[in-house]
Amino acid sequence: MAVAVPPRADAPPRPVPTGRGRGRARRLLAPLLFTAPAVLFVGATVVYPLLYSVLQSFFDIGLREVVQGGAQWVGLDNYADQFARPRFWDSFGVSVVYTVASVALTFAIGLGLALLLRRPFRGRDVLRALILVAWVLPTVVSANVWRWLLDGSYGLLNAMLRALGLIDGDLFWLGRPGAAVAAVVFATAWSFAPFAMILLAAGLEGIPKRLYEAARIDGASPWRQFRHITLPQLRPVSLAALLLVFIYTFKNFDTIFLMTAGGPGGATATLPVYAYNEAFEFSRFDTASVATTVLMIVPIALSLFYFRALRKERDA
Amino acid sequence: MTRAPLRRAATAAAAGTAALSLAACGAFGGGTGTDESAAGDGVITFWHYYGDPHGVPLEAALAQYTEETGVEVEPRFIPFEDFSRTLQQQAAAGGLPDIALINAYETGQLAGAGIIEDLSAYADEWGQQDAYYEAGWETGQVDGATYGIPHLADDYALYYNEDALAEAGVEVPTTWDEMEAAAAAVADSGAASYGLAMSGIEGAEGATGILLRTLAAGGDLAGFGGEAGVAALESIQRMTASGGLSEGFLTWNEDDAMAAFTNGEAAMAINSASAVTVVRENAPDLAWNVAPLPADATEATFLSAENLAIGAGSGDADAAWDLIEWLQQPSVLEEYLPERNKLPARSDVPGAVTDPVRAVFADQLVNAWAPTGETALHSTEALTIVQQALQAVVSGSATAEEAAAEAQAAIDEAMGR
Repeated sequence: MAVAVPPRADAPPRPVPTGRGRGRARRLLAPLLFTAPAVLFVGATVVYPLLYSVLQSFFDIGLREVVQGGAQWVGLDNYADQFARPRFWDSFGVSVVYTVASVALTFAIGLGLALLLRRPFRGRDVLRALILVAWVLPTVVSANVWRWLLDGSYGLLNAMLRALGLIDGDLFWLGRPGAAVAAVVFATAWSFAPFAMILLAAGLEGIPKRLYEAARIDGASPWRQFRHITLPQLRPVSLAALLLVFIYTFKNFDTIFLMTAGGPGGATATLPVYAYNEAFEFSRFDTASVATTVLMIVPIALSLFYFRALRKERDA
Repeated sequence: MTRAPLRRAATAAAAGTAALSLAACGAFGGGTGTDESAAGDGVITFWHYYGDPHGVPLEAALAQYTEETGVEVEPRFIPFEDFSRTLQQQAAAGGLPDIALINAYETGQLAGAGIIEDLSAYADEWGQQDAYYEAGWETGQVDGATYGIPHLADDYALYYNEDALAEAGVEVPTTWDEMEAAAAAVADSGAASYGLAMSGIEGAEGATGILLRTLAAGGDLAGFGGEAGVAALESIQRMTASGGLSEGFLTWNEDDAMAAFTNGEAAMAINSASAVTVVRENAPDLAWNVAPLPADATEATFLSAENLAIGAGSGDADAAWDLIEWLQQPSVLEEYLPERNKLPARSDVPGAVTDPVRAVFADQLVNAWAPTGETALHSTEALTIVQQALQAVVSGSATAEEAAAEAQAAIDEAMGR
């Protein structure tokens, strides 16, 4: 992390060290001292709990062990136990479906918004700011608003559908497995799309205008311009946006917990919800750690894949 | 057991930080498990989860104790969702209180983890256990020892809208067969959108209704997969099919169900006595009353209880026990419970329930069922499993037999049988 700053031409001359040895020691020590607070902070708040959590998955840990210590090493038993459970894989499957669907929808909406806001028009900045509200809004607020909107009896969505004569009576969106998954996917995409929009809009800014001018002169239709200039040029930014949104979504807990608590019948019980229940509802901290470790491995694997692809592209 | 949406939000926020702090406890090394006042400073620390307004009468009672005895009591409020976690963390960090007011069904778990003290010696000398309703007293027993003293009680009964039932031309149901017919009749007549409202939301909270129905059919939680559980699942399936019970109850928590009752959308609701004040405040013009829960093979209700416990390693255990004894005196309870809006855990406090509506709840306490022993240790998980069976049956993804059998297998596994 230590970055050596080259001396600027107009910088005042460095004070001459009184002794050679002391000067070198200070030069070596200074960067360490400067980075120490950050290293300590990250170590204490990120690395230590992370390693601890992974370590927990190799021990037999219930409430008693948390309080009194003395946990037994069980090797990979917790993993064997979890991987043999259909419920674990159900949750994993729900996580994959939820994440892939949310990422796809987030990206589509984000790209649509970025393209829409690319051309200047009256009120564009106001509109952009308003769209960002969805991203800034605390999940506690947005998830509960979604819950109310989708309520079967007094929800706004049903009131509209009833007025249009599309449904008759009450329809409980969050009470049906398929509809509940769609609802949490939509709510997630709604809140993450502005974030994708910002990244993609920056990417769009970076595409040279002359490419479009050349294409127009050659008589390319707007669709062909989009297909053959915008999309390929946007590739690096798109990959980064997809990866970031994937990571956010894969570990997302609050939206789902607040909207459905993992229901109905576990239809929206993603791995984070599963891990929460294991740890804090059923006091099985060991198997919860298995779930959180898997939760960590998947995005890390994807990130490594992404950075490798990035390096290849740069080297090519 | 009640968990409002906003409280769920707090849980969501707290979960992340809790994971961190739990990790810091040291599950691998030797724990400490001592008390923050281990030296015995004479000040009694008292932790509870009563937020406003429920904490006011409790803290008033504690202040009165200080006034009478000169013993200083330091109450501390910790939200319900964070309570167990805080106890766990503080047990590992050596900061347990002298007295903790705990959810009764967690007594076994906390005792097993060495977070609370064995009170058998005190309780035996005190010798008042026969004054308590049995189910409530049993919640404080772990392997034949006393770890918790019942603080107060609550149970479930049937709230009904008098006008809606009259308009639909039905009487207050006294059996579940009558309930099915009455709920359907209300929905058909249009007197209200639905006949019955109760919580069925994902998780343990949504299992109360199906558990009550199972208890009435003669079953219980540990043996849910038997005939009673099947009958209960079928009964509720018939009610959602007839429109008597909204399919949306699977998305309702207890507050949602009560809101449906107070705004007139549902003609009947199943809830505990703590909702009485809510209905009185939110629907002052509603003509309503409360009746015992419908019976089937038996009459039964579900006990919601709290226990007083002493933190492990408390240096002021004797003084803490004196306070517990004082709080459980009938004369103190008669003053405290009406303010607190709850029922006594013991049967010798007639003066604590003067309100006729609350008396209906109090009269049912003798029939109140509560999980004990091994069932109590795994009750949250077992209730979660039962709710899943309910969801599967109501949504039509499984028959009652299939769902009950699957639930039984899962419950057996959870209980390690």
